[in-house]
Amino acid sequence: MANLAYRHNRITRATHWVNALALLILFMSGLQIFNAFPNLHWGNKAEPEDAFFSIYAAEEGGEVRGYTQLFGLRADTTGWLGIQNTEMGPFPRAFPSWITIPGFFWLAGGRRWHFFFAWVFALNGLLYVLFNLANGHMRKFFLTPKDIKKILPMVLYYLHLRRESPQEGEYNPLQKMAYTSVLYLLVPLVLLSGLAMSPQLDVAFHWLPAMFGGRQSARTFHFLAAGSFSLFTFGHIFMVLTTGVFNNMRSMVTGWYREKVALSVDPLAPVVAEAAEPVGGLEEIVPEKLRSEKAELEPNPSPTEATSREAETDTEKESRKNGKE
Amino acid sequence: MEKNSAMISRRKILLGALQGAGILLLSGCENIFDKLQQNQKWLSLLESVEDGNRWLFRFLTGRNKLATEFSEADISKYFKANGNPPPPTMDYLMNAMGGWGLWKLEVGGSVKQPTQFSLDQLKSLPARAQITRHDCVEGWSAIAKWKGVPLTEIISRVQPQPQARYVIFYCMDTDSEGNNFYESIDLYDASHPQTILAYEMNGQPLPVEHGAPLRLRVERQLGYKMAKYIQRIEFVASYKEIAKGKGGYWEDQGYEWYAGI
Repeated sequence: MANLAYRHNRITRATHWVNALALLILFMSGLQIFNAFPNLHWGNKAEPEDAFFSIYAAEEGGEVRGYTQLFGLRADTTGWLGIQNTEMGPFPRAFPSWITIPGFFWLAGGRRWHFFFAWVFALNGLLYVLFNLANGHMRKFFLTPKDIKKILPMVLYYLHLRRESPQEGEYNPLQKMAYTSVLYLLVPLVLLSGLAMSPQLDVAFHWLPAMFGGRQSARTFHFLAAGSFSLFTFGHIFMVLTTGVFNNMRSMVTGWYREKVALSVDPLAPVVAEAAEPVGGLEEIVPEKLRSEKAELEPNPSPTEATSREAETDTEKESRKNGKE
Repeated sequence: MEKNSAMISRRKILLGALQGAGILLLSGCENIFDKLQQNQKWLSLLESVEDGNRWLFRFLTGRNKLATEFSEADISKYFKANGNPPPPTMDYLMNAMGGWGLWKLEVGGSVKQPTQFSLDQLKSLPARAQITRHDCVEGWSAIAKWKGVPLTEIISRVQPQPQARYVIFYCMDTDSEGNNFYESIDLYDASHPQTILAYEMNGQPLPVEHGAPLRLRVERQLGYKMAKYIQRIEFVASYKEIAKGKGGYWEDQGYEWYAGI
């Protein structure tokens, strides 16, 4: 029967969804702001010939096409970046309207959204950090020197080159690395590089734009940080989708995560039915399944080895389960 | 089990919510966000952080600290001239060709001593030169050397009355619909040592595309605050009655009055 574990406290759940919305809006309004000057520079000033990244429209052979250029490399990105077909014909525009806020070209509006949700992002993040520092939750996914040694074994485990997960506790070393780097590198980077673009803050904190190499560099860092957030989000969503989307979603909405269920009870969550891992081991469900399939495909499996492996896994599961309960 | 049936009904709600979210995403966030964008109450909510930002940023940075000043070697080769085109009037052209001999800056409003200054008179006042970074709201930056009269020199001569809180700059340029350009700053920025009425750029008389004969430099804010082609300065208690009431040409189109971010 259902074995539900209370995995996420209500502050974590609330701040998670507020954060998701704030990041989406910050990303999309940020692209609106970027569209006003779709070039990236290094240093303090933006000399046109020094842009190392540009999205632009240009006419070639009587046709206007969109291009994206990184250093000397230029790609034709018509249909994606640089130009967009509208009811009034093709329109030069770095990022298309479906990914910007507002959809139409309006820098002032994009700034309004961006600066409002920057506060939502910052205050919401502060609430999350303070609450989870106080209750000790943050410690569970803070990467320690001990975990660093386990990163490679964890990668090998994911690649099915190692049988046992080196995980101890609720989060595995790769999860810890991902969450720690987002929280302690990416979040400060995006906040500081954003603030470094303020001409008012520059008067009291000369070091702020300087630490990035100048205001234009800070703008570049801000753009790269936004890109990193979107990469992390795609990875995160991929993991959520592939490790039992229903169970994962439920745990982040209601707090309850189902650790072990019988298939017949829950046809909607077939992948989760395999889950024997207690709290935190989302990613292990699929690899474990694949691993046993792989074992079956092996040409001449020694029967004794296969059996003992099976037995060992079961014992492991049992002991973990007992440990948990 | 009671708990289990509760879980199932909760799941139904969850699935429904997920499907709803999917439709929302597929039908284009653009429409939903754009609809919100047209809601006046929502816009007011978004705009509500501006005052807090102004207060916080000023609190954090103190009153008279200076913006970073650069060296001659840092000066930009290219400095984009943004905004409206130079005033196309015969009056402006004649003045530009004649070296601004007939042009006069009028300073008035809530002041004890309304005064007119010729360009030569402005140049005879104590001057300040600074090599600063100009940050455009679009995202680019350019560095130039500016020389001009600190606004405090004008303030001490015209002596604003106690009710004066803002300084309005009326300009000679207009947009394609004939709206006059204007801008405003408050006394906090007007009295900053780097706030100058510049008549020289990079050692040359201010070029026409950069606002000849006189433009404002407000180094703690973005470029759109720095009015070009200045004709008249007025000290006022409020800017609500001027044009669309938002305190400037760009502000009337939705940009923040406080452009320190």
